[in-house]
Amino acid sequence: MGASGTPEPLVDVVMPQMGVSVSEGTIVAWRKQVGDWVAYEEPLVDISTDKIDTEVPSPAAGRLTEIVVEIGTTVDVGTVLARLATDARPGEPHASENGAPPTSEAAAAKGETPAPATPDPAPEPAAATPAQAPRSRRRYSPVVSRIAEEHGVDLSQVEGTGRGGRVRKQDVLAYVENGNGAAAETEPPLHIESPYRPDPAPAGAPAPAASAPAGVYEPPAPQPLSRMRQSIGAHMKRSLETAATCTTWIEVDMTAVQRERRKLGVTALAFVARAVIDALREFPALNAWMEGEKHTVHDDVNLGIAVSLGEDGLIVPVIRSAQDLSVEGLAKRIKELAMRARGRALSPDDVQAGTFTITNPGQYGSIMATPVINQPQVAILDLEAIVKRPVVVTDAQGDDSIAIREMTILGLSWDHRALDGALSAQFLAAVKRRLEGL
Amino acid sequence: MATETAQPRGSAGPADAVSEHLTLDDRVALLRYMLLMRGLEERAMNLYRQGKVPGSFYDGYGQEAVSVGAAFAMSPQDRLCVLHRDLGAHLIRGVTPARILAQYMGREGGITGGRDGNVHFGDYRVGCVGMVSMLPDMMLVATGMAMAFKLRGEKRCAITWFGDGSTSRGDFHEAMNWAGVQRLPVIFVLENNQYAYSTPTREQYAVDPVERAQAYGFPGISVDGNDPEAMFEAARVARERALAGEGPTLLEAVTMRMHGHAAHDDMKYVPKEQVEEWRRKDPIDRQEARLREAGVDTDALREEVRAAIDAGTQEALAMPMPDPATATERLFYEGDEDVLTQDGAAPWSGFDSGGDR
Amino acid sequence: MATMTYLQAISDALREEMRSDERVLLMGEDIGVFGGAFKVTDRFIEEFGPQRVMDTPLAESGIIGTAVGAAVVGLRPVCEMQFSDFVACGFDQLVNVAGKMYYRQGLPVNVTVRLPSGGGFSGGPFHSQNPEAWFMHAPGLKVVAPSTAEDAKGLLIRAIRDRNPVVYMEHKHLYRRVKGEVPDGLYETDFTARVARPGTDLTVIAYGAMVHTALEATEDLDGASVEVLDLRSLVPLDRDAILASVRKTSKALIVDEANETCAAGAQVAALIAEHAFEDLDGPVRRIATPDVPIPFSPPLEQAVLPSVERVKEAARELLEY
Repeated sequence: MGASGTPEPLVDVVMPQMGVSVSEGTIVAWRKQVGDWVAYEEPLVDISTDKIDTEVPSPAAGRLTEIVVEIGTTVDVGTVLARLATDARPGEPHASENGAPPTSEAAAAKGETPAPATPDPAPEPAAATPAQAPRSRRRYSPVVSRIAEEHGVDLSQVEGTGRGGRVRKQDVLAYVENGNGAAAETEPPLHIESPYRPDPAPAGAPAPAASAPAGVYEPPAPQPLSRMRQSIGAHMKRSLETAATCTTWIEVDMTAVQRERRKLGVTALAFVARAVIDALREFPALNAWMEGEKHTVHDDVNLGIAVSLGEDGLIVPVIRSAQDLSVEGLAKRIKELAMRARGRALSPDDVQAGTFTITNPGQYGSIMATPVINQPQVAILDLEAIVKRPVVVTDAQGDDSIAIREMTILGLSWDHRALDGALSAQFLAAVKRRLEGL
Repeated sequence: MATETAQPRGSAGPADAVSEHLTLDDRVALLRYMLLMRGLEERAMNLYRQGKVPGSFYDGYGQEAVSVGAAFAMSPQDRLCVLHRDLGAHLIRGVTPARILAQYMGREGGITGGRDGNVHFGDYRVGCVGMVSMLPDMMLVATGMAMAFKLRGEKRCAITWFGDGSTSRGDFHEAMNWAGVQRLPVIFVLENNQYAYSTPTREQYAVDPVERAQAYGFPGISVDGNDPEAMFEAARVARERALAGEGPTLLEAVTMRMHGHAAHDDMKYVPKEQVEEWRRKDPIDRQEARLREAGVDTDALREEVRAAIDAGTQEALAMPMPDPATATERLFYEGDEDVLTQDGAAPWSGFDSGGDR
Repeated sequence: MATMTYLQAISDALREEMRSDERVLLMGEDIGVFGGAFKVTDRFIEEFGPQRVMDTPLAESGIIGTAVGAAVVGLRPVCEMQFSDFVACGFDQLVNVAGKMYYRQGLPVNVTVRLPSGGGFSGGPFHSQNPEAWFMHAPGLKVVAPSTAEDAKGLLIRAIRDRNPVVYMEHKHLYRRVKGEVPDGLYETDFTARVARPGTDLTVIAYGAMVHTALEATEDLDGASVEVLDLRSLVPLDRDAILASVRKTSKALIVDEANETCAAGAQVAALIAEHAFEDLDGPVRRIATPDVPIPFSPPLEQAVLPSVERVKEAARELLEY
């Protein structure tokens, strides 16, 4: 590519292949205007694919001479998006600058990323400190980090009142007290599978307000769905059309898991993941892909974990070879992937090759759901809220009594094309046995 | 106040000088303690060469009479701050050979349990206070003990030993002055062994310290430091003075350091003739000659001493090293009892009937 | 209960302890007939006589060294250095003889050394020092520093009774400026820290005169709730109290009147950094006297000693952090 200093008159910027299964992409935003100077590897355009949203770094240094594909347009991989003139030099006036020397203030005023003001006519690749829109990097004090960790608080959501907007101890404590604290005992708010997230109620759909005046209803102007929302929707719809989806539930006593996880300081999800992996090794038919007539049973468990991105949607990063990880290792990987997902820092490889998926929307207290299978996988497990319930327990002598136990309901949606109800029930029983037998 | 001089300075004294206060048994005891001191230090030096004694090694070879003679005059109730070349004083107070060898070897059974080495110890069980390396700090401690004795009206004294180099330090002055001002029952034994490490006395002071005593208001007496009986007699008189409320005495024990400052020191800065001259004044040889003349079987005495050292060596070698876990323990005293309450042994016959006298 | 100055409380402790224990004797320069440079032992000689209120030669090493000797044979000497600065002349006896005696020889040294310390009155480089850190660094010595009249008495009685050498820092600037209710009779104050004022937003850690500076500086900081911890004892250092307070407030400001480097506050800061890191919500801040001798002229002296304003400013910054 144009990393070399060899001047080529024009270099094409093309829609990249973001992973093997990606065939097309949509332009989300252009970071540069025609006439702007672009450094090698400087972010040039934001694109969205059905796997991932990303930015495209410039393949060469030069001046942007032409934008071929406009924002909102979806094009095939390989399509030329823009052209760069590589024989141009930074600092030379161009049309949009009206001969004024480019200043970073001027660029900043336009909301652009200032081009590195390097006098070097051949910008070195190494100099590519990607002058991204400076994402304000926040540092947290030890006590703030610790409280956030203990209560599962996403510190980026906490408003800081300290110097320079620093998040102080009282800020995170207030955040915890104002409701986020509820998340303390439950899982971190990462794992929400969208299939049962109520679609955003039509923006205007008015709760029938008592005093709503009768008459002609005029809804607010409709907004286009985000690229991600569209993608999720298409994916889920395709799944339901493709698979013969059935759902089976089982009730699990999580008391032992809860005790152990508190000791280790990890989430219950990590224990469920470990139990699922073990059960998948016992029932490999559920660790499989179904693509038309093609049925692939995997040796490795590449475990997908659904991570909510809030209103934007969700994404399913994958833990490759999850069978090799301990509970603590799984907890660490889940946390790390979730953080990267929320930081929009996942790479295409992070979201590929999943062989089974777990979704965990229990944080709002829901207890049962019918998850939608993540194609081309054949099953998905749903972990809901863990709640205390009176339960009949039988002691060693066979005597029954009622005890308070921490219970949950695991739901397994499975593809009847690939397996039958008995097998899925056995699989769930295997998971249950492992979780209760701790 | 006139300076009293018991012996001409530097002279060996008459070979038949016998204190009228010493019985023959006392005189044998003096030889016995000197033999024990020399034998133990030679044994310790061998252990040092065998790699069983950590750190450095100092001895008092040739100076045995200084500590043995002076300490022999002390009563059980007196208190002693002993210098590192004065092992004989510890032996007289009753510290056993085994504990002394264990002390050299840093063993748990040594007097300091391995916390300090060499003769940097004082066994409070026998009325001694351990010295520190900064000399003559213990002059002030001895002065303070004497001050307490006087305040309480007790008939006892404190004694401490220090070297010729010590006389250059401020604490020498502070202690001499303090003791003189308060007329305290303290005996300062200046052990003039001619060298402070490698520095000869002529580079240490312009006026002999024994003369300085007069300036502080009390007698300075020069004694033949290689004659245990002369040392005993001088200390006995100084103690009488102290108990009579007449104040301190400075005894200058004139002697010679016959070995290097420590085991590493070949002493090449000392003229050979000087060493040879002093070898002829060896205190053990002199005391032994006197006793042989009096018909004492000193060979049997030597045999007895050797057996005691051998037994002590075996006992010391069997003692364990201290537990590393205890290194940070016992920094502060948590008890309530006073510690320096036990008296030491006082083998001089003069204490037999009348306790202190 | 009686209202006393800090100075009177020290005198009261000495007097009461001397009355109750005849082993206690006072040693120092000009403490007898003259009653001491600061009149701590004023008229003591009339009650206790010149032997127990001993005017010594001008010899700090001599005072401490002989006190060690007197202590090991059963007395309870209380030495007065006329100014804490002069203890440098007795350093060897205190550090090498007194401090190490028990560890080496099993022989406890029951000596108290009173050090009238601190500046603020144009005492100059030799009458204003705060040398407590010298002794914190010398194993075997305890170091205490009262800030109130009540503690001045209780800590001194405790120090005299402690079977180990205790360095008692009495701040000259507090002698007549600080008054308070002092219990009658004999009582001991433990060598532990004291919460001078409870609070939740910030801990200011100080001892001696700086406790008063800290209290004044944080009395009204826009309604902030500031805890002031009075260490009272530097050796032993009350780790539990320091860590408990900092864990509660998550912010620590340490005020020393001593020169900054390796001061008591440095030890406190290290303790917090090592053991309360996870609880911190801001940097551990220190205010101390810069590493210069205490100058004589008032504007120079005021420029180096920690002031109410400096403490206030640092407290504000930490609170806002």
